[in-house]
Amino acid sequence: MMRILNGGTSTTLQDAGRPGYRHLGIPAGGAADKLNFALANYLVGNPWNTPALECTLGGLHARFERDTVIALAGAEMWAQINGQNLPNFTAVPVKAGDILTLSFARHGVRSYLAVAGGLSGQEDFGSVSTYTLAALGGVEGRALQAGDNFALSEPIGERQKIPSGLVPYLSSHVILRARPAPEFEQLTAESRRHLFVNAYAASPQTDRMGARLRGNKIALAHNVSMISAPLLPGTLQLPPDGKPILALVDGHCTGGYARCLQVIRADLWQLGQIGPGTRVSFRRCFIGEDERALAHRNSFYGGLMDGFSF
Amino acid sequence: MVKKILGKDSLPKPTIQPYGDSAISLNYGCEGYNDDINTAVLALATQLRGTGDWEDVVSAYDSLVARFNPALISLDQALKTITAAAERLQKIPPQLPAPHTIDIPVYYGGKEGPDIERIAKTSGYSIDKVIKTHSQQPYKICMMGFLPGFTFLSETPKALHHARHTSPRLSVPAGSIGIAGWQTGLYGLDSPGGWQIIGRTPLKIFDAERDTPFLWQAGDYVRFVPQKGEFPHAKQDVETQP
Repeated sequence: MMRILNGGTSTTLQDAGRPGYRHLGIPAGGAADKLNFALANYLVGNPWNTPALECTLGGLHARFERDTVIALAGAEMWAQINGQNLPNFTAVPVKAGDILTLSFARHGVRSYLAVAGGLSGQEDFGSVSTYTLAALGGVEGRALQAGDNFALSEPIGERQKIPSGLVPYLSSHVILRARPAPEFEQLTAESRRHLFVNAYAASPQTDRMGARLRGNKIALAHNVSMISAPLLPGTLQLPPDGKPILALVDGHCTGGYARCLQVIRADLWQLGQIGPGTRVSFRRCFIGEDERALAHRNSFYGGLMDGFSF
Repeated sequence: MVKKILGKDSLPKPTIQPYGDSAISLNYGCEGYNDDINTAVLALATQLRGTGDWEDVVSAYDSLVARFNPALISLDQALKTITAAAERLQKIPPQLPAPHTIDIPVYYGGKEGPDIERIAKTSGYSIDKVIKTHSQQPYKICMMGFLPGFTFLSETPKALHHARHTSPRLSVPAGSIGIAGWQTGLYGLDSPGGWQIIGRTPLKIFDAERDTPFLWQAGDYVRFVPQKGEFPHAKQDVETQP
């Protein structure tokens, strides 16, 4: 068993999500940073999409009540086992009675804790991914609290190592390559330029649903009255107040604001490393760059992890 | 861009464009509510979803977004597929399966409908007349979205049209019925919201525990049936949010 001693800022059980229900208002959700989630599982010998814990900002404390293997991937959180430092991106054995403590996140905001053999939770719409707003998945559809327990099972595969070239680069300044979204052309020429030049800062309320960005205001060339239209994770929306909102993994399925930019698929995993105060920049994706980036990443990480693709 | 609606028998040509690198947006861009266009969009969404080639197909009032995996289909191919499907729709009038009509009990006004007086004032109607006007017509479910169970309905009677609140309420209870511009909508979950709330239904629109988590789907019709007396709080499970 693994016993949660402290849930931290917000720790939830996540998997690869529940795609296919957006037309009913249910976002696919899943691990906010799919890449680091998959890598944590890979390290402990699990299939990449095995349920694991997503720890946001830090503070998770847990006790293991049997010997097993764990790995952390994602933001650096000064993790320790019984007070001894634990390396990131490395599978490590733990013993019954060992206590894992995560401190405060730097270089990113989310860290994934995978346990050999995986964790299980409440399944809704084919996924155990926690979606707190509708209380779906995870443990009663909520963030973990002290006293929650997870049954531990036998390891599935061998411990693995990640080739150093494939350890993701994480920073408190996230740079996202983006392409135009449907209302991009309706921005003023100045705004279209600004979007790719200025850095924004994610507001303190940033969560899995979205990040309101602070920085230069963006404006539409004409007053566009939008009726509700479909919205995707990674869309930068523009409300009338000119302060853009970036839709994240649990973002609304439809929205009523102009959709300006869409983060390319190969960079969507980085959305999971945006939290309060994270600096965010957009870079215009060159023609063909999105396809090449995706093909490269799919071949690197798909080669490492069976069945994984962005 | 606002396109001219050509009349009942012919749909306008939609704008079809890439939405990032993994999705296509199709938009008829009509002003106000157009039932033919919404039917076309719903029919197209159902058809695309049926092919299994798309990761997600979400339709709205007059637009649709279909997401694909660019490792499997190229953006050009995806554009071509959607364009061809939209062209077929121009030739063959879209058909939807026979819709269900669902009666929804509604407690109008009072605590359940705090904004009904504002609607009465702007329309010049009495509260009773607002209730009568709002509940006398069936509404088509045009789209679901925003959050689980949120239901967007066809046009509200003209006299009752009203802008949203300038700053949204922090919490609107599940089952609330609101007006925003020409739209009527139902809240599936307790959530923040800026619509003018005129009533509330005790029906649980979304319940993951139920065999059928949703009470209806886009394309169905609803009728509001005004109720007398107190809102039956006991009948509804109170959602506890962490």
